[in-house]
Amino acid sequence: MTGQRSNERPLGGPRPSAHAYPVSGSAPGWAGRRVGIGQALGRVGLALAIAFGGLALGAGYWQVIESANLSSAGDDAAVIAAARNVQRGQIFDRDGVRLAWNKKDKNGEPYRTYASDALSGVLGYASRQYGTAGLESAWNAQLSGVISADPLRELTRKFRANASDPQDLRTTLVLQLQEAAVETLGRNKGAVVMLDPRSGEVLALASTPTFDASAIADPSTATKTFDKLRNDTRLPLLPRATSGLYVPGSVFKIVTAVAALGSGAVSPSTTYADQPAAEKNGWLVDGFRVTDGHHSATGSTPLDFEHAIEVSCNIWFAETGVRTGGDALTSWAAEMGFGSTLPFDLPTRVSQVTNGGGSFGGGFSDKVELANAGYGQGETLVTPLQMALVAATIANRGVLMEPHLVLEATAKDGGVTTISPTVMSRVVPEGIAAEIGKAMRLAVAGDLGQRYTNGAAVRGLAVAGKSGTAELDGGKSPHSWFIGYAPYDDPQVVIAVLVENSGGSGVRASPLAGDLFRAWRTWANG
Amino acid sequence: MSVAAGVRVTTDAPRFRIRPRFRGRELGLLVLVGIGLFIGSLSLGATEQLKAALADGRDTPGNLLVLADPGLLLVYLGALLLVHAALVVAGRRTDQVLLPTVGLLGGIGLLLMERLPQDLAGSLGGLARTQLIWLLIGFGTMAALAVAVRNDVWLRRYKYTWAAVGVALLLLTFVFGRDVNGARLSLSIGPVSGQPSELLKVILVVFLAGYLSENRPLLVEESTKIGPLRVPPLPYLAPMIAMWAIALGIVIVQRDLGAALLFFAVFLLLLYVSTARLSYVALGLVAFVLGAVALYFVFGHVRTRIDIWLDPFADPSGAGYQVVQALHAFARGGLIGTGLGGGLPSIAGRPPIPALHTDFPFAALGEELGLVGILAILGLYLVLVERGLRIAAAAHDEYRAILAAGLSLVIGVQAFIIAGGNLKLIPLTGITLPFISYGGSSLLANSVIVGMLMALSERTRDPLPPPRRPSRLRRIFDRGAP
Repeated sequence: MTGQRSNERPLGGPRPSAHAYPVSGSAPGWAGRRVGIGQALGRVGLALAIAFGGLALGAGYWQVIESANLSSAGDDAAVIAAARNVQRGQIFDRDGVRLAWNKKDKNGEPYRTYASDALSGVLGYASRQYGTAGLESAWNAQLSGVISADPLRELTRKFRANASDPQDLRTTLVLQLQEAAVETLGRNKGAVVMLDPRSGEVLALASTPTFDASAIADPSTATKTFDKLRNDTRLPLLPRATSGLYVPGSVFKIVTAVAALGSGAVSPSTTYADQPAAEKNGWLVDGFRVTDGHHSATGSTPLDFEHAIEVSCNIWFAETGVRTGGDALTSWAAEMGFGSTLPFDLPTRVSQVTNGGGSFGGGFSDKVELANAGYGQGETLVTPLQMALVAATIANRGVLMEPHLVLEATAKDGGVTTISPTVMSRVVPEGIAAEIGKAMRLAVAGDLGQRYTNGAAVRGLAVAGKSGTAELDGGKSPHSWFIGYAPYDDPQVVIAVLVENSGGSGVRASPLAGDLFRAWRTWANG
Repeated sequence: MSVAAGVRVTTDAPRFRIRPRFRGRELGLLVLVGIGLFIGSLSLGATEQLKAALADGRDTPGNLLVLADPGLLLVYLGALLLVHAALVVAGRRTDQVLLPTVGLLGGIGLLLMERLPQDLAGSLGGLARTQLIWLLIGFGTMAALAVAVRNDVWLRRYKYTWAAVGVALLLLTFVFGRDVNGARLSLSIGPVSGQPSELLKVILVVFLAGYLSENRPLLVEESTKIGPLRVPPLPYLAPMIAMWAIALGIVIVQRDLGAALLFFAVFLLLLYVSTARLSYVALGLVAFVLGAVALYFVFGHVRTRIDIWLDPFADPSGAGYQVVQALHAFARGGLIGTGLGGGLPSIAGRPPIPALHTDFPFAALGEELGLVGILAILGLYLVLVERGLRIAAAAHDEYRAILAAGLSLVIGVQAFIIAGGNLKLIPLTGITLPFISYGGSSLLANSVIVGMLMALSERTRDPLPPPRRPSRLRRIFDRGAP
């Protein structure tokens, strides 16, 4: 065969000129050879076509069979991008002042920015990297538009080009009060709760130290800001008003009073014969000595309820606590929210009268713990918001309103969802609330009371309240408390103030509360 | 038989007589391409208007009938018409389907580059503009080759020179190459930088065509039996082994799995075309599998690629991210796609798939044009290959046949490798989708290929090249020769 081939081509002949070659009928026609290139080409073409058919099948598999699965998965870029590109609804205070809105980064993707650092403890933040916290987290579905206000729109949502239907929130907050609260707390760690006892609307919910929520939301500063905040030993990211648990000290006496008077264990005129003598050396309960600090002021007169509140008598309340009993104390406290998370927009830590588990009644372990809890020491731990609710119960004549942060949510098309005030609990009859209120008024305005609530009184505004100094183990400086309300005759605002490790109430919490009552009056009259 | 008898002698320099020849079919197809790209640009323009309106908080844009960057489209279509005009004026009877096919592929790629963020790449005024400039350079090269090349002596005679150039290029890249994403693909000489493997694939085909056509008779007739296997005559096995070694070297040194796969596949296909011996292909495949298994166990980057291929969802946000996101893109596209500009959700201003413009345009088009668009694009590549193989079948001699087949197979196999990688049918390798992917080297090399195919498709009896003096090897083995 090779020989035959070589005849067709001048292989063996003299070397032809470089330019010369055959172009005739007998030109090399390979097509007729035994091994057909044409056939081989056809097969190669067929093989490639089959391979391309495989590509088509593969594309069909991903684009038709797996399409729905993949494109709705959480890590699908469209799902991620939709979340990143959504223009969150804006947040306003109750007077329409803008608290949170959106800016755009260089890629046109929105990010959150806030009116003031003072809001950090209540609004929290909404960040691409670090998710959401505070009100931004609690109302995330409405703010990001995942939940539509309109049920009909909710049904057709997935068919829309722009699926999200973000809602604006008008909150119960007052920016100027929020800022006043943070400003008065100053460099102290602490919390302020201001609310309207008639409706449960929260006017201010401050926690210090504050943080720059805008810097967490801004993608260019988020990581640096958040890492620093997370490692800050002062815990700025902790919303103290709702998630800080503190020993209440004497402000808890209001809870004891509610339980004792409400259950009928004591009456407002109840006195303890051994109390004046015990002022000197302390009142002995099963080997534990309850002590007091007002002996020189009250001398040998046995105190009734009003005056026990006015001078914050530990012995009167220790005895009352024991007389009321653990069961009654915890169950009346539970009426005001103790023992469970509060029905509130933000997550709350559970306030406790006792850490439970004891067999003495109501979870107390013994009489000593119960006696100590009666005046707010023992194992009692509370959040500032919980203590504001205690004051609100008294201010609203025994009826506790559910605290809330949002007045209304407004959809783009104008649809409005309104949050109306709800009764949380009818704790005590009006008469008992009035008795306790009267005592709290005396604690602020009375000759002796003023010593303990120094600075809470405001000229021209009748303030009622109770101070507290929470003694801490280990010789740490005590927490300073104040809870109260004003005006006394027609309560419109409740204030709870906690200042961590700042000494007696008269030093920090009470004067701070006075400032805030003044700020409230300015706002209410303006 | 005497050489001189009955042979008309012509010179290497043919007489250029310009006689314009109307190319009706090409013009008709180009008009269709123009209409298609015009509609594509309108669709992209409308989507962009809609997106801009949404970003500004408006519900509906004022005017939806807007072309996306009409300047780019006009320049591009104008360039296609210019190439057509040049071919008409030159009066050659070359293939009329290649230009419209390439024109549509390039146009689709250009539309894709227009809708991507312009700062992804490109120093000449953004992604789309840079791509357009390279497309123009490519078309210019294509037209020049199609019009001017009337002789293949310069290719067929100097095959070993070309091979030497290729090996030199390879060595240069080994030594001076710049590492991009862990692969040494890019070579910079002064201000010029490019991917030598793109040029290399053309040189490889030129060399293989020369080598295989010259030694074809021996490869066909002679064989050594090793056990049940018919092996090519042992001296001819050497180039095969060399080829295999070069492919391995590219994988090991350059970490360029795509180019290695492409080179080896094209080599095997051309070996089959020239010999029609499946046993050789089988032998090559055995060598391939052995090499692949060895590489898997020895080299981490190969193992990573294979593992990602086997289960990209094992680490969807890490190693498997690109592949998983590409599959998501296909899935989002569904049957009819999101429309140009409507898909590829932007995260932090970036497309969801890293290196989308070079490695994943197929996935991007899968999302925006849907399965329908994908099938159309696959069809266009098949048309290119079919035209190339047809040119090969009609070629004057074996050399031209193998050359044409090799050139068209390079494009077809390359498209298959990257599309298959995007679709997780085969492991992902970083090579370009011909005429669609962003990148100058790729566009230029593929334009050279199509230009040469056009030149090879000339149907008039152009002067055939002079026969070569047989190589020494061949004289040794060609015992039947006098």
